[in-house]
Amino acid sequence: MDLLDRYLHAVKFWLPKDQEQDITAELSEEIRSQLEEREAALGRPLHEAEVAAFLKQMGRPVVVANRYLPQQSLIGPALFPVYKLVLKIVGLFYLVPWTLILLGTMLTPGYRAAHHGQWLLSAALSFGYSVCFVVFVVTGIVTLVFAVLERAQARSPFLGKWDPAKLPPVRVRNRVPRLSSIIDLVANVVFCLWWLDPRSPSIPGISAIEFSMTPVWRVFFWGFLLVALAKIALDVANLRQPYWTRGKVFARLLANGSSSVLFCYLCRAQVFAGIHLAHVPPEKAPAIAQAANGWLGVLFPYAFAAGVAIAGLDLYRLYRVGERATPLAQRAVASR
Amino acid sequence: MTPSNDATSSFENLKLELRRGCLVLAVLAELRVERYGYTLRKALGEHGMAIDEGTLYPLLRRLETQGLLVSEWREEDKRNKRFYSLSREGRLILKQLLAEWQSLNTSINEIL
Repeated sequence: MDLLDRYLHAVKFWLPKDQEQDITAELSEEIRSQLEEREAALGRPLHEAEVAAFLKQMGRPVVVANRYLPQQSLIGPALFPVYKLVLKIVGLFYLVPWTLILLGTMLTPGYRAAHHGQWLLSAALSFGYSVCFVVFVVTGIVTLVFAVLERAQARSPFLGKWDPAKLPPVRVRNRVPRLSSIIDLVANVVFCLWWLDPRSPSIPGISAIEFSMTPVWRVFFWGFLLVALAKIALDVANLRQPYWTRGKVFARLLANGSSSVLFCYLCRAQVFAGIHLAHVPPEKAPAIAQAANGWLGVLFPYAFAAGVAIAGLDLYRLYRVGERATPLAQRAVASR
Repeated sequence: MTPSNDATSSFENLKLELRRGCLVLAVLAELRVERYGYTLRKALGEHGMAIDEGTLYPLLRRLETQGLLVSEWREEDKRNKRFYSLSREGRLILKQLLAEWQSLNTSINEIL
């Protein structure tokens, strides 16, 4: 019974040391009894192929051995939904922005210049490697934290300690919080007042710095002003009727998209012609402006990442606003 | 998967779940008489509670760890076999489980 011995040996490999002899002896006895029964029914010894078919039916050695082991899981069913939620949050608020910033960095002229003719291949390889590495590390850290929590939960079940009174209120989908509309409105009005100041662009309270702008500045002046006015109109509409509609979300998407495009363009447009500082000779103004234009250029990847993230959120809101509200949410709205 | 396959699969899963609880009771009841694994499996099968060895032996081990069974290795027909029987605690638990089973049965019959 060479095949049976090999099978039992393979099962034994996966068993705990203190039980392996006992379990394999019992398993051996069971298998031998079953094989003898078959041989008696057939009236002849079994062929090796028949023994092999029988052992295959018994199951793979690791599976058979596993049935004798205590049930083990890295993260149990109680914590698993929280683990999944944390992974989603980390993905959305860390990995996605990080990826977008990386992508933005690779689109800068500096990166292209550093990698000459092969920048596309180099960028693709570097991007793929970096994303895989970061996803692996972040997922690993979150998994490790939850594995530790699982062990702690097994020792002292902290999930059992909770207070129903501390449950969060029911969220009404598509409702615009009034406070958020007021804050947005005030911010946009203040921005317009500052923007329309004849001395603008200027830094409030600091008169020692004066800016002279290149002609392209007019595009940004009118562009940002129109976007701010559109947002003020949207905030007023939200205060009058505090619910997102498809039209309002689309208008917000357009306004946010326009300001993101404008800001990304601003980073690259060399808008400062001169920056005049008190106590600094006027002939140094172009050099200071040049440095400021350079600093703005550095902001491009971050502006690009933020713009894509904001557009993504607006698109998601546009998708959500089209879905029907749940009966629970409808009841909550009706009760207000 | 077709809807009828779905229904069959659901039925099989539910049947398995229903049988799982009864299996412990059946094993304890069969072990009022001392048996070794192979004959226990045969006896259960003859009474309509067929069970595969991959389920039975780990279950026997668990029940023994819980103190409900006792076992000893003995030679029979020139082969070493492990014989199981109910412990004192096992007999007590079986009595309680049987009472619970009767009560459940009565409740289900009343519902039906």
